Amino acid sequence: MRQFYLLLIGIIFSTSVWAQGTGSVVGVLSDKEVNNEPLPFATVQIKNTTKGTTTDFDGLYEIANVEAGTYTLVFSFVGYETVEIPNVVVEAGKVTTVNTGLGATAAALDEVVITTTVSRESEVALLLEQKKAVSIQQSIGADELARKGVSDAAAAIAKISGVSKQSGGTGNVYVRGLGDRYLNTTYNGLTLPSNDIEKKNMDLDLFPSDIIQNVAVSKAYSTKFYGDFAASNIDVISKDYKGKGFLDIQLGSSINSRAIGKNFVRSEGTGYFGFYNRYDNNPFAVILSHPVDPVNGGEPININGSISGGKSFEMGEGGRLSLFATASFANDYEYRRGSAADFTTVEKQVYDDVEEFEYSTTTTAMLNAIYSLSSGHKITFNSLFLNSSSDEVGNFGIDGNGRNRDAILNTDKGFFTKNIQFNQDMIFVNQLSGLHTFDDKLELTWGVGYNKVFSNQPDRKRFALENYDRALDNDPDTNPSFYNNTNFDNQRYFQSIEDEELNSRLNLEYTVSDNFKLNFGYNGRSKERFFKNIRYGYDLIEPNTPVTDINNLDSVFNVPNLGSVYDTFVFRSIAPELGIDNRNFPGLDENKYTGNLDIHAGYVNAEITTGKWLFVPGFRVESFNQSISYDVINLPPDASGYAESYENFYLPSLNVRYALNDDSNLRFSFSKTVSFPEFKEVAPFVYEDVTKRVGGNPDLLNDPAVSDVYNLDLKYEWFFGKSELLSIAGFAKEIRNPVNLVIANDATGTRRYFRTGEKANVYGIEVEVRKNLVQDANDNAVVSAGVNGTYMHTKQDLRSSNGLFSSTLDRDDELQGASPFLINADISYSPTSFENYRPVANLVYSYFADRIDALGSGQLGNIVEKGYGTLDFVWRNEIGENWEVNASAKNLLDPDIEYVREGTSFGDYTTSIYRRGINAGISVKYKF
Amino acid sequence: MKTNYLLTGLTAAALIFASCEADDTAEIVINNTDNSVTNNNGGSTPEEPSTGEAIDLEGTKTSDLTLDINNTYTLTGPLVMAPNTKLTIPAGMTIKAASGANVYIAISQDAVIDAQGTATRPIVLTSASTSPAAGDWGGLILLGRAPINSTAGGSATSTSEIGGLPYGGSDVSDFSGVIRYVRVEYSGGAADGQSENNGFSFYGVGNGTTVDHIQAFEGKDDGVEFFGGTVNASYVSVVNAQDDSVDWTEGYSGTLSNVYIKHGVSHDKAIEADGFNTDIGNNSNPLYFSAPTVNNLLIIGQGNTTDTEAVRLRAGTQGEFNNVIIQGYEEAFDLDGDSGDSPTGQGVVDGLLFVDTVNFEDISVKMKNDTGFTFTENDFITNEGDATGTDYDTWKAGWTVE
Repeated sequence: MRQFYLLLIGIIFSTSVWAQGTGSVVGVLSDKEVNNEPLPFATVQIKNTTKGTTTDFDGLYEIANVEAGTYTLVFSFVGYETVEIPNVVVEAGKVTTVNTGLGATAAALDEVVITTTVSRESEVALLLEQKKAVSIQQSIGADELARKGVSDAAAAIAKISGVSKQSGGTGNVYVRGLGDRYLNTTYNGLTLPSNDIEKKNMDLDLFPSDIIQNVAVSKAYSTKFYGDFAASNIDVISKDYKGKGFLDIQLGSSINSRAIGKNFVRSEGTGYFGFYNRYDNNPFAVILSHPVDPVNGGEPININGSISGGKSFEMGEGGRLSLFATASFANDYEYRRGSAADFTTVEKQVYDDVEEFEYSTTTTAMLNAIYSLSSGHKITFNSLFLNSSSDEVGNFGIDGNGRNRDAILNTDKGFFTKNIQFNQDMIFVNQLSGLHTFDDKLELTWGVGYNKVFSNQPDRKRFALENYDRALDNDPDTNPSFYNNTNFDNQRYFQSIEDEELNSRLNLEYTVSDNFKLNFGYNGRSKERFFKNIRYGYDLIEPNTPVTDINNLDSVFNVPNLGSVYDTFVFRSIAPELGIDNRNFPGLDENKYTGNLDIHAGYVNAEITTGKWLFVPGFRVESFNQSISYDVINLPPDASGYAESYENFYLPSLNVRYALNDDSNLRFSFSKTVSFPEFKEVAPFVYEDVTKRVGGNPDLLNDPAVSDVYNLDLKYEWFFGKSELLSIAGFAKEIRNPVNLVIANDATGTRRYFRTGEKANVYGIEVEVRKNLVQDANDNAVVSAGVNGTYMHTKQDLRSSNGLFSSTLDRDDELQGASPFLINADISYSPTSFENYRPVANLVYSYFADRIDALGSGQLGNIVEKGYGTLDFVWRNEIGENWEVNASAKNLLDPDIEYVREGTSFGDYTTSIYRRGINAGISVKYKF
Repeated sequence: MKTNYLLTGLTAAALIFASCEADDTAEIVINNTDNSVTNNNGGSTPEEPSTGEAIDLEGTKTSDLTLDINNTYTLTGPLVMAPNTKLTIPAGMTIKAASGANVYIAISQDAVIDAQGTATRPIVLTSASTSPAAGDWGGLILLGRAPINSTAGGSATSTSEIGGLPYGGSDVSDFSGVIRYVRVEYSGGAADGQSENNGFSFYGVGNGTTVDHIQAFEGKDDGVEFFGGTVNASYVSVVNAQDDSVDWTEGYSGTLSNVYIKHGVSHDKAIEADGFNTDIGNNSNPLYFSAPTVNNLLIIGQGNTTDTEAVRLRAGTQGEFNNVIIQGYEEAFDLDGDSGDSPTGQGVVDGLLFVDTVNFEDISVKMKNDTGFTFTENDFITNEGDATGTDYDTWKAGWTVE
């Protein structure tokens, strides 16, 4: 079909050139690095003439007005093998079609023509995109992901300069020191929901690399992004497939050095695949029907498997349907042993010996269907389902030496906490998008997405014991007893969040001339969150009720004992007027809130090329409406239960590129953006963790409801060889009225969100180098290395706030989450001398320096996450056409993951330390 | 599984996986045919016939509220007196509170309470339940503008554990009203997982306020707690508090005179004293710690058994205890602290924390020093054996219960 299309073009041109006795050469250039997909922006020249052109976005080229004769065509592209095709005969009034492919390796003439759009899996292609991009952006594609053994999107973008990922499976990503609240995540250009009450962004750990074609991190703002932008927009592009058909099956297994051999436990009622089936029941029915003790968690051997397939069909006249589907399952056993403490200026709760078992699963399924017409129209449907679960059992104080300064019987030892917690997040994303080109001038792209998230924490169980040392003394006559200061020290807790979002994008690109392009667009999103929780406290009726077997709490909390050994309590009784009070009856939801966010935005930008300059001025107008209505316990009685803000933002931006020469660019970017509060930051609900309490603050929606952000970027980039790059960037940001999480002035020390000062500033430089160290005879990299580093200086002024809540701050400090220094490095060895065996070995290293995890207020110092380095080794082996055998050893350094409270009168106090263990695994993939 | 999953594309996958897990949860059915037994709201249970109306009390009052002795009041939710209002409760009045930690009376900063009972006609705030139990309802909360060391001073405020109301300031002699012959029963319900009501909570209350003859009876949490402030209280009785009977923190510096504490089976400390709020740190400038004076104190425990402790002094608290009798604990005074931000031992060394005139009866350990400072029992305790405590039998008559 493409050939037919080309032919038409050819005929049109040939009629116009007939009179001059010339012909033309047309064709499509394909990218052998990327399944022979079109290669844009490559140079095509007729040797020994001045005639030439570059391929367009679809790899198409045409050289018109060529005098009849025999020529040699030269195809070249940065980083690719140059191909010369001799004996190309051009006849007057005729069109000669020359289709070939370019690749990083020596080319053979190849005339395969494939109707596709660009693909962005290849590292080289992504570098090209980065080079051509109108704004500052970095991507990592499927190839690089596979090579570096990256298993998910969070790990993927952590390979990009200035990006780091927080330890401990939180999925927290920091870009230039700015964390979750300053990032946006999109999926195929449409908003992605968050799976976690604590987050604005999806946990990118949940995106296995099977789904990812590439992940693009845009650190400079452009008008197509939502105005809520301070650090970056992360766009995950889903994989698609346009070839003749394929089917891959992969199976793998791994073990963790610290988990292996442990007797794993997990929650009762949850499944091996990470699902839970009691959501439809009233929580009170659940606690009466089901026991509390954890159950056997199985052998700690991780398995993973995936199946992917694709096929492409011709459909009707000039139509093509391309299908790609993938499904995967992976689980992970982790055992953490270390210490945990809540230390303010004194030891509040200290557990010198903590063990945590975590069993987590990720299940994904993705379907991508593309219907394209050769007339320049394309409709894509994408449906994504993710289920992630985490099943944690934590025993705090197993050495009998746990301390709680508010313990009743003994404050010096024997305090013990058991926490059994299951979290399940189910995410459904459905997107329909389209691309339509109308003649050469107009291109319309659009998309609508519907997202739904169910994030549940069903039946978390928490128990507190005193005198636990007496369980360890082998004397059956001395036993620990329940700590029962309040009715809720022993409890079961249920929380559910439901998010629903409809969002859309529309962009019309109008090419006025080769040097002038205009974009007009619209973005809209409408999001709603429902939150509710309830908890049942177990109040032991007798003081100091003994615990004879910590592993058999079911013998205490069973139905016959209800009302005789223990009572249950809720905060809100269901019908006190009927005598159904808060004791031994089901209750009403403890806390509820509903958040709404509506955004509508229109924008315009221009791409103006003059000589070596590219200017992209843009302007976006965004209307923002956010509201929260809440009904939560223990608030001032006159708290309104509602907060709302409506504002319009006017956001100018300018991106400039100056091409110093063919291989290097200078870029400049300036923009004004905003940052607005998240639902969790404004809803005054307080989440009570084992050692900390975090709540929102509706005052954030008062004037000012948003932070204005000013962004400035300057970057030099030099693409000096095949897959080689040097870039140096400087950046500066100013965030007005920033929001921070700090300990509020209240009698229980709850952490809340406040606008803590006038402004925060970030300045930094980033350097990135990718270089081939050893090349074979054909200039292919045998040994290559990449390193990127970021140095940052951050500063914010911190001042006290007063409102519904208050905080005490008076100092300047660094930004929370900002490491002054980050580095990512990798070295790759890929010998090319074997016939049917293509191994690639990679060593990947990342390091971040100490960073603030939580700001201290008043007399309290900051909680700091200590810096550490990680080292992964990945060894891929492609054997023949069908087999791939991969081995990996990750977290080889197994560093201490440590958090400290700084500035105590005893120096730094370690509040948490543990190691995650080395993961060694092997997997086999078969391609049919 | 919810039906709206049907809106989504990959529903089948989710359904297949989810159906792997069993759900054998039983239904709950509440058979509540006998309202008269469990109804604890008092409405249908006539007690003292009254000529007046039955009135529910709750909400934020922005004008003065004077209760009429002829009416029957039920506290059904938080009753908050807004700034510049006055709550007047006449002698002899009993106010019954419906169940719930969110049922309490709070006197905001700049509001005033006038609750003056008499020995024969005390004011009683109690549970409305027919089978009342500790923790049925919140309690009485006063908030003032006297200094607290949780903030840097000046007009800065903190917010209360219950209800999130502001307190603290710089007015040492702030006036929050008069409380006299008032008994609070069955209070101390948990307002969230960490926040508990007390019998009487004094948040930054100044010494212009009058507090005498108060009793906290059968409280789930503390009996009387002082969050900073300078208020003085005399003739304080705390009986069967399940947590600490008297608790101070956040730089409290008033004088307590004639204090009677009796522990029930379930209890924590008789006195738990903090120099500052260790959740948020000591933010005062210049730095100071709690330093009250306690005169004429009688503490009666459940007997000298393992892990029982009468007075815990920690987080740098200072203070003087004059004329004290402690009966029936393993430990009498347990001092906790460190050489850094919680210099409780420094107070002893400097003569700012001491016990003068004390009797220990049925006590194994008179003083336990975990402060990191070196001092002797004699540095902390002087004049042992001459104490008289307080003559509870005399002043309890008529208005207290036990």
